[in-house]
Amino acid sequence: MEDFLHDIDTLTVHFALAAVLLPLLAFLINIFSPDKKNKTSGWISTIAILLSCFLSISVFAKVWNTDHTVHQKLLWFTIGETKLYAGVLLNNLSVLMLLLVNLIALPVHIYSIAYMKNDEYYSRYFAYLSFFCFSMLALVVVDNLVLFYIFWELVGFSSYLLIGFWFTRDKATQANKKAFIMNRIGDMGLLIAIVIIFTLFRTTDIDTLFGSKEYIKQSFIENGYWQNRFLGPDQIWDPSQFEEISNKIPAIWQYIACGGIFLAVAAKSAQFPLHTWLPDAMEGPTSVSALIHAATMVAAGVFLLGRVYPMFNGTELTVLAIIGCFTAFMAATIALTQNDLKRILAYSTISQLGYMVMAMGIGAYASSLFHLVTHAFFKCLLFLVAGIVIHQMAHIKEDNGLDIDPQNIQFMGGLRKKMPFTFIVAVIGGVALIGLPLTSGYLSKDSILIQAFEWSDGRSWGYKLIPLLALLTTWLTTFYVARLIVKVFFGDLRLKHLKPGISLHISDGGWLYKLPLALLAICCLFPLFSSNPVSYDHAWLITGFPHNAGLEHGTDYHTFIPVGVNILSILVIYGAYAMYERRKSNPFPQSGFFFGLSYNEWYFDKIYDQIIVKPLITLSRYTFWFDRRIIDGFIGMLAMTGIFLSKVTAWCDRHIIDGFIKFLIMIVRAIGNFARRFQGGKVQYYLFSMLAIVLALFIFKTLFW
Amino acid sequence: MISLTHFMVVSAVLFCIGLYMIVSKHNAIQILIGIELMLNAAILNLVAFGKYDRSSNGGQMFVLFAIVLAAATTAVALAIILNVYRRYKTIDPGTIDNLKD
Amino acid sequence: MTLVQVLFYLMSFIALGSALFVAATKNLVRSIFMFFITLFALAGLYVLVLADFVAITQVVIYVGGILVLILFAFMLSGKETLNIIAEQRKPFISLSKVPAILLACLFLIVLINVIFKADVDHLGWIKNSIALKNGIAPDAAMTENIGINLMTRYLLPFEAISILLIVALVGAAHLSRKESGA
Repeated sequence: MEDFLHDIDTLTVHFALAAVLLPLLAFLINIFSPDKKNKTSGWISTIAILLSCFLSISVFAKVWNTDHTVHQKLLWFTIGETKLYAGVLLNNLSVLMLLLVNLIALPVHIYSIAYMKNDEYYSRYFAYLSFFCFSMLALVVVDNLVLFYIFWELVGFSSYLLIGFWFTRDKATQANKKAFIMNRIGDMGLLIAIVIIFTLFRTTDIDTLFGSKEYIKQSFIENGYWQNRFLGPDQIWDPSQFEEISNKIPAIWQYIACGGIFLAVAAKSAQFPLHTWLPDAMEGPTSVSALIHAATMVAAGVFLLGRVYPMFNGTELTVLAIIGCFTAFMAATIALTQNDLKRILAYSTISQLGYMVMAMGIGAYASSLFHLVTHAFFKCLLFLVAGIVIHQMAHIKEDNGLDIDPQNIQFMGGLRKKMPFTFIVAVIGGVALIGLPLTSGYLSKDSILIQAFEWSDGRSWGYKLIPLLALLTTWLTTFYVARLIVKVFFGDLRLKHLKPGISLHISDGGWLYKLPLALLAICCLFPLFSSNPVSYDHAWLITGFPHNAGLEHGTDYHTFIPVGVNILSILVIYGAYAMYERRKSNPFPQSGFFFGLSYNEWYFDKIYDQIIVKPLITLSRYTFWFDRRIIDGFIGMLAMTGIFLSKVTAWCDRHIIDGFIKFLIMIVRAIGNFARRFQGGKVQYYLFSMLAIVLALFIFKTLFW
Repeated sequence: MISLTHFMVVSAVLFCIGLYMIVSKHNAIQILIGIELMLNAAILNLVAFGKYDRSSNGGQMFVLFAIVLAAATTAVALAIILNVYRRYKTIDPGTIDNLKD
Repeated sequence: MTLVQVLFYLMSFIALGSALFVAATKNLVRSIFMFFITLFALAGLYVLVLADFVAITQVVIYVGGILVLILFAFMLSGKETLNIIAEQRKPFISLSKVPAILLACLFLIVLINVIFKADVDHLGWIKNSIALKNGIAPDAAMTENIGINLMTRYLLPFEAISILLIVALVGAAHLSRKESGA
């Protein structure tokens, strides 16, 4: 029996690995294909994802809610006495995410085949897309933090590649650099946290730390030290051999580790303050935005929170809730005034991610993951719709030679008559985002709201702000979604008012567009998630995760909140419709402090530019000056010294040494000239010299002898 | 009394004057005259010593021979000087330095 | 002061003075003519040494032959020769003569030194010859002595010198003949 179970486990693990590696195979095939516009590369990627989808469904069925965590690992490498393992961990969270990623990626791939068909670098696009799918799938199934970090970074890198897909555009390259750098800050936080955890627990295995063995949950802070109850994981190291390693480190490291995790979540899931990269990431193709920046990659931050949830104590969870709530509120206010279709959706994503983080913070672990799943479906749907609309506006622009921004909603209107199918699915997605009943969004959002109110029960008034802000954000969400739908699909085409006489040849796309939209629209409705359309208690997803036991019994909030929220939402929708469709002028002031704050995205980009970017550039300029002037100047001075020394030496050589030689030459010449005279050929000189010698001889003889 | 020493001193002075002329004159004929002076000095010496030898009279005999030799010398020397002049157009011994090294 | 002494000093003074003039002057003609006087003075000195035949021979051959030869040799050589020979190039006292003067003076000093050291007045053989009455007396007839000695004791040198004389004269005549054509 044991062996049988073990074999089934192995099969499951193999299926999971196959599901992860199929997109990698597609990536390799596409990246090495020589033809840039190879049409089959799209089908290769799609088929890989399709197979991966089937495999993940099988894995999901085997693992979900069976109380049986599949965990297999191999020895990866050994450093000294420390062994590091690499393996696959399949628990509820892993298989849910595995399935989700595949289910979102499949429609996006089908849609992309049609959307990118005219692009110059078709194969490269699908190669990158497959690479992203591989990274994301691997991220959700790995079993230790080191591998998790590797794939975390790879996901960020794929995002960078895809944002800057049209790298010839300046804005795209700036956007992908910004995304990558901000993600890097998060990566740094995550790495610090991993290292701290490893220092204390000597292992990075997720199951050991957060799962079955519950190392972290059983660790405690005492006397200012963060203490490990266990001396170390079994058979990994023998503490008697390492007396200097203690089982406790100062408590400050726990806070720093949590801070690192916060940074990672903020960077990847676009929370305050590292959220500014997400709106700029809309420079990439819309299908990329749909897959990565709406449904999957940005959800990786929430996934990380799900994985390391036991690490947080009460205060840290509160901080998490505050951050999430604030981000949700801020992003919703910004989305109110934006005119670019994709930017509205981007801020909407930030806002909904704020909801998820806040839900994690208030202890609604299951609700947060539920909202992640439902949000993935309707946000992906909305982005794909946006892609079609922008595509058609671009057609109008090209056909008539106009110079407009196809993404600007101020030029749209009345598209419901030209693109009815798109209109219907857009309304479904919008309603899901708002959270009206009969949609999946209603279930997940209301579960968060109810639990927020329950959490703030019994605490001081400051805590009550959080659910109130969340409530306010819900109505703001309603307003901007309604504004979006009304401005794009209702009324008349505003462009025609500006430039009359243009011809319109727009329509819904082919089956390649319609099929993904239909699939996703179906998933936005409640039947997929719960048999009961109004109560989230019976949602099967919630039952898979630890959730508050008091749900079924309920408090007054369970009835009060959904009713109140939804009635007000319907009123807001009607108000938006009336405002934007019937009345031709704006009741709200278009200028003024709040409008400016919202329209300029709370001036975050400008603040970051002033505080961080400009000083860095100035610093780099000064170090450049320093390097040029002082260091090179120093080298130059050395060079001058060398040259000066060489000149002195040359002078010395020329004047002193050569001078000495010249002096000798002069002496020799003088002697030579003198001696030459004796052979001059003059007879009298010969005679003279002869006589002189004789005389000398005589004198010598007379004087000395 | 005029002793032998007086004559010898005179002869020495004449000899030196002749020597000076030979070494320092720029004219070949004056060099010839210098040679003659030296010869005459020698002759004076011979004669002064010959006073004390009456029997073999060596002093005076050799003077005669010396005078003859002087004449022969002068004749040949003049012939040489003439040839030198024909060849070099000058008789300054200082300018005739073809035998120099 | 006997007459001999006076005559001696006079003759030697003339001889030396004119010799100095001969040495000092740059003019060739003047030096030749002063040489005349030197030779005459020397002849006088010969007489004082009781060598009268030699004195006459000196005058006849030396002055009358050699000096005249020299005189004719350059006077009959042509106008250019005269001009070139007679010309002076340098000033009277020039520095280039100093070594020669120095040489001459030193030689003089050495010679006089030797003369005084040798003490020729008291040489042995001179004393002997004076004692043997071999010195020439002032009234002796030396011509006969010279003739006999020349034909007996000094016959070989006599013949030899005559050959030498012929050789020299023939040689000089040949050397100084005019080139005809080539």
